Amino acid sequence: MLESIRKRARTGKVTLDLPAGDLPTPFRGMPVIADAFRSANVAEECSRVCATEAIDPEKKTIDLGRCVFCGLCEEACDGEGIRFSQDPRLPCGKREHLVLGGREFPTVKAAPDLRSLLGRSLHLREVSAGGCNGCDLEAQALGNPIFDLQRFGIDFVASPRHADGLLVTGPVSKNMREALVKTYEAIAEPRIVIAIGACAASGGIFRGSYAVENGVGAVLPVALFIPGCPPHPLTLLYGILGFLGRSPEKNPRR
Amino acid sequence: MHCVHTFELGKSAPRTEEAFRAFLRETSGGNNRLLALFAEEYSSGRFLLHAVAGGSVPGRFVHACVETSPRSFRTFTDVCPGAHLFEREIYDLFGLVPEGHPELNPLRFHEGWPKRSFPLRSVGAPAPDARRGYRFLQVRGEGIHEVAVGPVHAGVIEPGHFRFSCAGETIQNLEIRLGYQHKGIESLFPGSPGMGRILLSESISGDTAVGHSTACARLLEAITGNPADPSAERWRAVALEIERISNHCGDLGGLSTDIGYLFGAAHFGRLRGAALNLLLKITGNRFGRGLNRIGGIGPRVPGIAQEELIAALGSLRAEVESVGATMLDAPSVVARMEGTGRLLSRTAATLQFVGMAARASGRDVDARRDFPSPAYVEAPPAKVLLDAGDVMARAGVRVMEMRASFDWLPGVLTGAIPPGTIATEGNAPAAGRRLIVSVEEGWRGEIVHAAIVDDESRITRFKVVDPSFRNWPGLLFAVQKNVISDFPVCNKSFNLSYSGADL
Repeated sequence: MLESIRKRARTGKVTLDLPAGDLPTPFRGMPVIADAFRSANVAEECSRVCATEAIDPEKKTIDLGRCVFCGLCEEACDGEGIRFSQDPRLPCGKREHLVLGGREFPTVKAAPDLRSLLGRSLHLREVSAGGCNGCDLEAQALGNPIFDLQRFGIDFVASPRHADGLLVTGPVSKNMREALVKTYEAIAEPRIVIAIGACAASGGIFRGSYAVENGVGAVLPVALFIPGCPPHPLTLLYGILGFLGRSPEKNPRR
Repeated sequence: MHCVHTFELGKSAPRTEEAFRAFLRETSGGNNRLLALFAEEYSSGRFLLHAVAGGSVPGRFVHACVETSPRSFRTFTDVCPGAHLFEREIYDLFGLVPEGHPELNPLRFHEGWPKRSFPLRSVGAPAPDARRGYRFLQVRGEGIHEVAVGPVHAGVIEPGHFRFSCAGETIQNLEIRLGYQHKGIESLFPGSPGMGRILLSESISGDTAVGHSTACARLLEAITGNPADPSAERWRAVALEIERISNHCGDLGGLSTDIGYLFGAAHFGRLRGAALNLLLKITGNRFGRGLNRIGGIGPRVPGIAQEELIAALGSLRAEVESVGATMLDAPSVVARMEGTGRLLSRTAATLQFVGMAARASGRDVDARRDFPSPAYVEAPPAKVLLDAGDVMARAGVRVMEMRASFDWLPGVLTGAIPPGTIATEGNAPAAGRRLIVSVEEGWRGEIVHAAIVDDESRITRFKVVDPSFRNWPGLLFAVQKNVISDFPVCNKSFNLSYSGADL
């Protein structure tokens, strides 16, 4: 008992203040598109190695709703067209807001009345629907002392009856479809759906399999997509806080 | 290589059913074990069953196949109990009925599926019998009641349905229905053996991205005749051990949560993150995605100098050892974990359980010894074996395995040469129709990948066996006669993957 108290005192505070800055190399965060990607045949080169067809060589765009952040495109073009930065902050919002290189979109925020309702207290029911468990693990990590989601008034709850919304991972396997819809229907309105990871946006690496629905959007109305494979816990934090209209820069501790 | 083997299928004619049965019976003895049993439709409407086994002689794989009728085959579960789940899987994917199987419930498919849909069976093949629905075992008796949990569980975890039959608080029987995470991953592998397959393998089970992608990379290297150099193999082993450490820390934190020991939950939750961040520095991703390429490792791996990594591992070790010792000495922890969820070594041997859970029940199986990959051939991490088989033993094995990994890692890292400096000679890939098997010890246990390739080296059938698939029944035996309130801690002590089992 004494030993555990001593250990607690020695460890001190471990919780990360926001904004946390860039992560160390070779972390693959926000992709940066260079001019070369828009000219020449660099986009073609990049798209050829992309296993999830995230890169459109015609429109010269990269769809973070499909991207699994493998970095193969960066290797193929030697970083001349696409380079992955160490920034964990990714564009989050509606499905089309995840496409980089085309039209610029403003940050998506919840409607003002929803923000005033959920902005300081958001309780989510998490449903894993056919993914690999990677996104679930990062959502779970939000609860540890490092990321400490609860300090923001956000938490995961066991029952959908206690929840304001759903956090969904995975491409939605056909076998989970019914359970996902029932969980959603058990939440009182107004309710929001947050879909995290490439699978939940598009089916990701599993897109086109006989057993999946190719994303949460095919089953439920999604208010917020957060890309990644899986998204870093900080990406999740920035995404959710941004949606609630809360700026981590202005209020780093809470 | 001791961890990969190629069988030329042209040279081994299918056996008779009796010979195949005898082959499977032999795999049930000692350290021999069935690594995979799977079906293949080798031409329209014609099916082969393949069995791969091994274990008693390091690096020795054996294979047998048998032709089966397009409707059914006689079950092999009676001579090889470890075959029972494989046979249910074959029924679901190919529509081949294992006649006489003791529990032929659907494994992959749920009520919403068409009754005659068998996804890996060609359309041209004659339609087999419609599949029957799922039937839970009914326990009858005075005061018996059922508790149904899931598929959506209380925590932030994967889905599965647990059906408890209890007398009072005591669990008489637990039945687990899985399949909710089934995403048809094996159907996405066939085709040319390219990088996309490695990305797929990283998503078989999110917490075992290094284990699965390493097994898959070596398999693809054997197909294409493009082996990794010794230094790349060292970095693979380093990442595997750090993956093991991160998950063991996470599980000790999870066990702490389930018994209300918040000290362990907070510290191990944090230390798991520290280990994941080491993987991030090596590979660019917290789960080690991006480590593997066909023929080696990614060009930006490792993103950290060896000396820096050795120092970071040293300070992580000091923390893990001190928190681990405090936890396992705490009377409140011992009281909840000792004697809880006992898995008998006899059960573990009969059902051929693998990995860390088997080693906590006295079963000496470890692919790092039985099918050693290059970095493990000479001196693998020290052997860890306990025989109590309870939750305490599964926690103890984790602490001891982390210690063995921490002991082993500096040796591998010291003097590790930069990747790609030693030229490895490509060897001409074998020709003809062949079966390639690749095994690696992930943190839960041995991972098996098998591929059948045609004359042009294209994958025609891909089989993945996650250790969870083989160990899920272990939980059923461990919880019998325990109180239902101890179920969470029993479950966490196995921490099996739903995604890896459902594929």
